[in-house]
Amino acid sequence: MAIKVRIPTPLRSLTNGVDMLEAAGADVQSVLTEVCARFSGMEKRLFKEPGELNRFVNIYVNDEDIRFLENLKTPVKDGDDLSIVPAIAGG
Amino acid sequence: MALSQTAQELELADPSLARYNRQMLWEPIGIAGQKKLRAAHVLMVGCGALGTVLANTLARAGVGTLTIVDRDFIELNNLQRQVLFDEQDIADQLPKAEAAKRKIAAINSSVRVEAVVADVNHTNIEQLAAGKHLLLDGTDNFETRFLINDTSIKTGIPWIYGACISAMGLGMVIRPGITPCLRCIFETAPPPGMNPTCDTAGVLGPTVNLVASWQAMEAIKLLTENIATLSPFMFSFDMWDNRYQQLNVAKARDIADCPACKHGNLEYLSGKFGGSTTTLCGRNAVQISQPAGSRIDFEQVAKNLAAVGKPTFNKFMLKCPIREGHGENKKDFEITLFSDGRAIIKGTNDAATAKAIYARYVGS
Repeated sequence: MAIKVRIPTPLRSLTNGVDMLEAAGADVQSVLTEVCARFSGMEKRLFKEPGELNRFVNIYVNDEDIRFLENLKTPVKDGDDLSIVPAIAGG
Repeated sequence: MALSQTAQELELADPSLARYNRQMLWEPIGIAGQKKLRAAHVLMVGCGALGTVLANTLARAGVGTLTIVDRDFIELNNLQRQVLFDEQDIADQLPKAEAAKRKIAAINSSVRVEAVVADVNHTNIEQLAAGKHLLLDGTDNFETRFLINDTSIKTGIPWIYGACISAMGLGMVIRPGITPCLRCIFETAPPPGMNPTCDTAGVLGPTVNLVASWQAMEAIKLLTENIATLSPFMFSFDMWDNRYQQLNVAKARDIADCPACKHGNLEYLSGKFGGSTTTLCGRNAVQISQPAGSRIDFEQVAKNLAAVGKPTFNKFMLKCPIREGHGENKKDFEITLFSDGRAIIKGTNDAATAKAIYARYVGS
């Protein structure tokens, strides 16, 4: 299943500027595992420890916060849109 | 419901509001809304990129009183996006809050502006927020945003979060007790150095304008009591990628185990979190704050610094370049000292180095 993963600006230094990619997986965890495997350094930016996201990063599936769905076990399907939204400080 | 009024009728009804007639023609505002804007007092925390767009927009919209607090001075690389400033302000070495006040006086002399050149920290934010109807985020760091968030929870005053980098921005309206707070969404800040900054990743003027315009629109809705139209979402966009989202955060207040609004641990306002030094976003600089009440004698400091540099000062601040070491080991710093004892040490991101420079050349 192809899930569209949106990479925000602050993480694009890890993806050589790639802003969107497609990844496979049945749930959010498996999609993010694939993303982390593809890009060195991504895991540290997303996860505090395995299975626990950093508290300064939120994941949205089709604009819904996964914390209010089934968190990392939130199921995803072909065509879903997964956004990584980090806290940003500029202004 | 009354029939809509023409522009002429609106002007006749209250000539002092004539300049706002295009705004009052928008029925949800009207004369009643305009008068609410005139009666409003807003605290603007930070007057850089977001802050200047916010101040400019709200002053033109007729918000009656703005208290603008900013700790910084104007640099040439600010002019690309900080819309209230110009080259003369730099030549005059004006602090941002003071320069903004002067510009607003020329734009709309009926708006009262209080310029406060100070660092917003846990010792002074409650006093700054007292009596305000709204707190607006024009800051460039997490610590101050979490401090605003704590203050909002404690005082019940709403605030509007906004942040940006490169072409990406975020915004959210926070009404304590009603909506999620910032720490319901982002419980912690990233560790220093983890995320790129406006300096390392850049920031585009339109990004700033979009975030701040969104904030300003929500501010106008809130101040005119058009509460039902406030955005319940987190606004998120990347203008370069043509991507605009409304992220659903409504459930966060009920579900997130928020240390601030659920458990009442106002860790930034209590001073438990946040320190007396702040690494400035993308500036290769550290700010050192002093307890409230400190005052600096610029003449004396300038005399002291004359031995090591060429200080210049006016009534607002003192600047002095400092070179340490020599040959391959030489390091250039610049101290900018404000009258409340606060300093910005340029040339380092390291708090300890900055403290040492302060102690060596200013004394603490």
